[in-house]
Amino acid sequence: MMKNLPIFFLLVGLGFSQSKVTIQDSEIEINDNEAVVEVLGMVCSMCAFGIGEGFSQTNFIDKSKFSDGVSVDIDAQYVQIGLLDSENVKPEKIVQVIEDAGYDVSLLFILQNEKLTKFSTDKLGILQPIAFNITSDNI
Amino acid sequence: MFRIFFALIILLNSLSAHPVIFKNGKVFWITQNSSFNDMRFGVSKTNSWLIGGRLLEDRKSNETFALVNNNYLAKRWNSRNSQANLYLLSSVGLNTRNSKSMGTIGIHGDWENRRFMVMQMIEYFSYNSALVSNTRLAYSPYKVDYSKTSTWLIAHYRIEYSDNQYSYMFFPVIRLFKKNYLFEIGYNGNDSFLSFMTHF
Repeated sequence: MMKNLPIFFLLVGLGFSQSKVTIQDSEIEINDNEAVVEVLGMVCSMCAFGIGEGFSQTNFIDKSKFSDGVSVDIDAQYVQIGLLDSENVKPEKIVQVIEDAGYDVSLLFILQNEKLTKFSTDKLGILQPIAFNITSDNI
Repeated sequence: MFRIFFALIILLNSLSAHPVIFKNGKVFWITQNSSFNDMRFGVSKTNSWLIGGRLLEDRKSNETFALVNNNYLAKRWNSRNSQANLYLLSSVGLNTRNSKSMGTIGIHGDWENRRFMVMQMIEYFSYNSALVSNTRLAYSPYKVDYSKTSTWLIAHYRIEYSDNQYSYMFFPVIRLFKKNYLFEIGYNGNDSFLSFMTHF
């Protein structure tokens, strides 16, 4: 076991700039400086419009990605956003936009600086990191 | 004047609404049926409170009211693939003809997923002591993604109680919406129903 530790830390340290995450049986490709959010209650295009408007008013969205920085999938109930690489985006900022639009976050994945982090909302509605430097095998 | 303006809007487009929308979002909403012409503009100051202006015309008495409209989202239940809401609604203002005060108070509950929707709204109008109930059952025959036009088939049942009399109306309504635009039209052989709403 001890012999394998250096290899483990080497792999973690290398990171990755692209991965896949799963939301409601949908496999989503996520690139560096992107986030994928599972949104509860997003059942119509008007709901999604409010979320898009909210992100467009922030200063951490990379509008060169997707449609003005935001891609919506109502079927799988997720929103994918491009993040400016100059900004180290806190997950709370992303959650605030979703909540200001009137919806709740169930899962959040952020791939930034080649580090993929998975957050989940606990029973108190507080976002908790539940996995760091995860790979598509252990999501 | 209001009638002419309203008719123009109907011709150009047509009119309906979510009582509260996203924080800092604005909503323009216009509705016409055999009883009312109702035009509203509002701003959601938070994700649970919308304030705005409302011009309400009673088509039977030819009275028009200028109102401040106040909608509060009391509770929202967000679930995977569905949403339910409970709203409290109110308006206060004046009759434009005689400056008499007027108010409305109402409650609105709904549940929807991507294929079905149920809605119940009850609103009280102080100027004629009318109580109006609107009930909706809706079905969407197909699911579409964000950028496509969504179609809903709606059974709309309206009951109005005033002057110790009940009046009933049933409308089959078609709702179309795409992104931030919503359009509804209903006709039951005698009366028509039109609604248009946009968020921005």
